[in-house]
Amino acid sequence: MGREFLTWLWFEAERNEGGVDTPTFGRVGVDFGQRLSLETGGNTKEGSTVQADAPSQAEEARTALRTGKKVAKARLLLDAGERQYQVNLDAESLTIAGAKLPTMLGPKDASLLDERLRLIDELEAILDEMYVGFVRLRMDEGRWAPVREAMREWVAGSGA
Amino acid sequence: MALASGSVSYLRFFVAPPPEGFERLYAEQLGALRFVEIDPRSEVEKVNGWVQFDDAFAGDFDPGTLVTPSGYLLFRLRIDTLKIPAGTMKAYVDQEAMNRCKAQNREKLSRKELDQLKLEVKKQLRLRSLPKLQLVDIAWNIQSGEVRLFSASKAVAAAFVELFEKTFQTNLQAVGLRSVLWLRGMNEAEVDSLSLLEPERFHLIPR
Repeated sequence: MGREFLTWLWFEAERNEGGVDTPTFGRVGVDFGQRLSLETGGNTKEGSTVQADAPSQAEEARTALRTGKKVAKARLLLDAGERQYQVNLDAESLTIAGAKLPTMLGPKDASLLDERLRLIDELEAILDEMYVGFVRLRMDEGRWAPVREAMREWVAGSGA
Repeated sequence: MALASGSVSYLRFFVAPPPEGFERLYAEQLGALRFVEIDPRSEVEKVNGWVQFDDAFAGDFDPGTLVTPSGYLLFRLRIDTLKIPAGTMKAYVDQEAMNRCKAQNREKLSRKELDQLKLEVKKQLRLRSLPKLQLVDIAWNIQSGEVRLFSASKAVAAAFVELFEKTFQTNLQAVGLRSVLWLRGMNEAEVDSLSLLEPERFHLIPR
């Protein structure tokens, strides 16, 4: 489910003017940075890694999608209003790694540690909400079927 | 990787809510398994234990300040390793063996003598060495029950889980692709129904 989620994020980011809607944070801007890994599923995994300024735009990444691979690892750039986050996500666990938090000037009495914890809470909540949103969509065949078809068209190369 | 600065990597866990008036109990429990330094005269190579978040050498915890105003219990796992690298050991053993052979006008030491020499050299080197010190930040949100371990290492995570469960006498559950759904409000039946879904194949030709 993690690889489908990251692949869907890529699709939504292109289809939905670079954003994904969340219940708490509204529309969150999503972009893919620097490095994108795609893999086939099953026991014998085949992978492709694309390293570029905009890896999701690279032809190599599109080709990997067309051969049945899905996103296994990605560096996401998330834009939540005034705050921008960067984070590496692994589809196996969606564990947060290498996260770059926004630099903020919080209230004068708030410690730096409290502020960083608050930002981590927010980053985690954004990712969780996007994931839960995807899972709910995926479980609802009526809503999912047209998305599936649109994703297949997107993968086949007819665009988002 | 640490909480206080730089980029952040962490593993997520979930734990049951604490009992009423937990501060005193938890402070005692943390203190009971505080970090104790390796005795270089012993043969112990690795030890771990709890230390205060802002003091790697303090293992006593004050119930009054245990939880931050924002509701977090912050502390650190300290892991010390005192192990003489194989290359270093070999160099010193070879040198000492050569010295002894020279002093005794012999060509080489017997196997038994060499084994004894290794033990002696190891003891001497341990007394001259400092342990490698590793500090891992932990942030426990008392209200939500989420525990974050600021490390991506599986070995550190295993040591942490073992010590945490022993300290607080509670189960620590790793948060993964399924459990995060429970934490964010999906019910068990919904989560279980996910196993019925077939993996999607997005590369098939659209209808």
